[in-house]
Amino acid sequence: MKKTLTVLFFLFIAAAVQATERSPQDILAASDAVRNPDHAFGLTNTLIEYRQGKQTESSTLAIYSKADVRGGQFRSLVRYVAPARDANKLILFSGKDMWFYDPTSQASIRLSPQQRLLGQASNGDVVTVNFAKDYRAESAVEEETQDGERRPRRCYKLGLSANSADAIYHRIEMWVDVGDSRPVKARFYTESGKLLKTAYYRRYQNAFGAERPTETVIIDGLEPDWVTVMRYTDWVKREVPETWLQRDYLPRFRPE
Amino acid sequence: MCTSVLHAALPQFCFVLLMALVTPARADDADALRLADEAPRTVARERDWRGFAEIGLGAADLRADGSTRKEQRVSLDLQVDHALSPQWRAVLADRLDVSSTAQHGGDKAINTLKEAYFSGRVTPDLLIDCGRINARYGVAMGYNPTDYFRGGALRSKVSIDPASLKENRQGSVLLRGQKLWDGGALTLLASPRISSEASSDGFSLDWGATNARSRAMLVLSAKFSEIVNPQFVVYKEEARSAQWGGNITGLIGQATVAYLEWSGGSGRSHWSAAVQQPASGTWRNRMSAGLTFTAQNKLSFTAEAQYDGAALADDAWRTLRAGSPLRYVQYRNWVAVAQELPTQRALFFRAFWQDALVPRFDLSAMVNVDLADNSRRAWLEARYRAEHIDYVLQWQGTRGAPMSNYGALPESWRWQVALKYYF
Repeated sequence: MKKTLTVLFFLFIAAAVQATERSPQDILAASDAVRNPDHAFGLTNTLIEYRQGKQTESSTLAIYSKADVRGGQFRSLVRYVAPARDANKLILFSGKDMWFYDPTSQASIRLSPQQRLLGQASNGDVVTVNFAKDYRAESAVEEETQDGERRPRRCYKLGLSANSADAIYHRIEMWVDVGDSRPVKARFYTESGKLLKTAYYRRYQNAFGAERPTETVIIDGLEPDWVTVMRYTDWVKREVPETWLQRDYLPRFRPE
Repeated sequence: MCTSVLHAALPQFCFVLLMALVTPARADDADALRLADEAPRTVARERDWRGFAEIGLGAADLRADGSTRKEQRVSLDLQVDHALSPQWRAVLADRLDVSSTAQHGGDKAINTLKEAYFSGRVTPDLLIDCGRINARYGVAMGYNPTDYFRGGALRSKVSIDPASLKENRQGSVLLRGQKLWDGGALTLLASPRISSEASSDGFSLDWGATNARSRAMLVLSAKFSEIVNPQFVVYKEEARSAQWGGNITGLIGQATVAYLEWSGGSGRSHWSAAVQQPASGTWRNRMSAGLTFTAQNKLSFTAEAQYDGAALADDAWRTLRAGSPLRYVQYRNWVAVAQELPTQRALFFRAFWQDALVPRFDLSAMVNVDLADNSRRAWLEARYRAEHIDYVLQWQGTRGAPMSNYGALPESWRWQVALKYYF
């Protein structure tokens, strides 16, 4: 009887540990929740690009995002604020339905998924993404890494593989803080295993009642001296009507 | 002794072991993060207006006498979009070109009032606009059969780049209403007849060029899926039969967009319109079909087949070329103003390479092929995008038999260097 109770006790403990232990996919979803609000929002994304230590380009984007009620992935409308040559150009991201609109020629041009990858801070990087919707977290290994502020941080190192046709990258390694699920950094790879870019999520500040990264530093995989800083400001909770997220609305869109 | 040494060395050993176990930021990463620390923290703000000034210098080789003629151009383009209230906006877009070109000789100033209209939001999903509006429809890159409002819209042709032709045109006076819903929209446009005479005055508002007849158009957009996205159009002109049209885009794999644009309806041919013959009620189709492929190195390539059933068939085109020069010029002039194809079948190719070889340096190439007479036109552009200025070099060449589509153009080649300053 005593032996049976002991076995039951250990089984109970094992089950309890199992219940509180998060799966890699849960960790990934928790880190998504740190980066992304659970409601529609707008923000300003300022991109500053450096090559060989010198600033070569900068642009400012106004981004309006909301999660799709059907699939959960974010859909976004991106508008160029600066530089002047690109002002008011729009890109609509709605899954595979992607359109570019140029107000000077009044032309709407359909974009292919491949065009999400163009640019170091690619079209796909500037918009909000729930990684857990497009990737399967296959492993989670605890280790220490240095964060974007160059401090050691205890993290889960997640191995992600694409499990949706909408996934931009083939494979991702992502470091997520063990304590608070903050994404710390990520490495993005091609199908052949080539490192495309490294991203550091840093400068956490309060936005919508939670600590969220307000800066992403992207380092090119092939040219490490090609660096892009993406800085997020002007976070605002706002309506993003469904009617905005279609090509017919692009010529009519005006900032509010 | 041994124990004390161990005690002294243990913390150091643990530190070294810890640092070895921590996945370090690579040296490159550390440099990048230090660079990011110093990034400026200014944020660009919205502006109601934007514009650019452009100066171009070039030369053209004239076919008629083999001489070379210098060309100069100065352009000023301004766009204003001002909120009058939360519901109403005022939009103005104007362009001034002052040029001395091979076609007309001497200086000539042409002002194009591209747009001037009020835009209102009756409800969040019901919008109306009223004024001169550049209403442009179609998904094809070169020839847009459903771009019904393009006729007479071009006052100053500064480049044969399709983007430039769409950008530098004047809108039509019209009333536009649009109802939006999740995944679709219905748009109604009504454009009145104002004047039947186009003006050659450089500063004319030229209502006659864009509003010579009353017109109406209905556009229905529906998103069937993320892959397929069609648009249906019905267009009606005063005293003309309705034209039906549509366009559809789709994805082929990850890197290719396919598109098809079609318009059809009873109506007169371009020839009948040019020589003002009574219209025959024949059904005529117009179509553009193409593919755009984008490679990983930012090189995109478009191939497009174009068909215009209202243009002259191959035999009729051959006959016209061999016949009266007066009739030939009459037809070519009408086609040029209407922005229609002179012959029925053509091919269009375009390549665009962003950040080619070095960052901010773009290369574009375009080729038009007329399949009726095998004449061709090629256009090349190199553009470097500095912070506020574009440095541009363009070359254009034509080849073809005498009186062919491109072989009859006044210039056999033309080049231009331009500076475009954005403010």
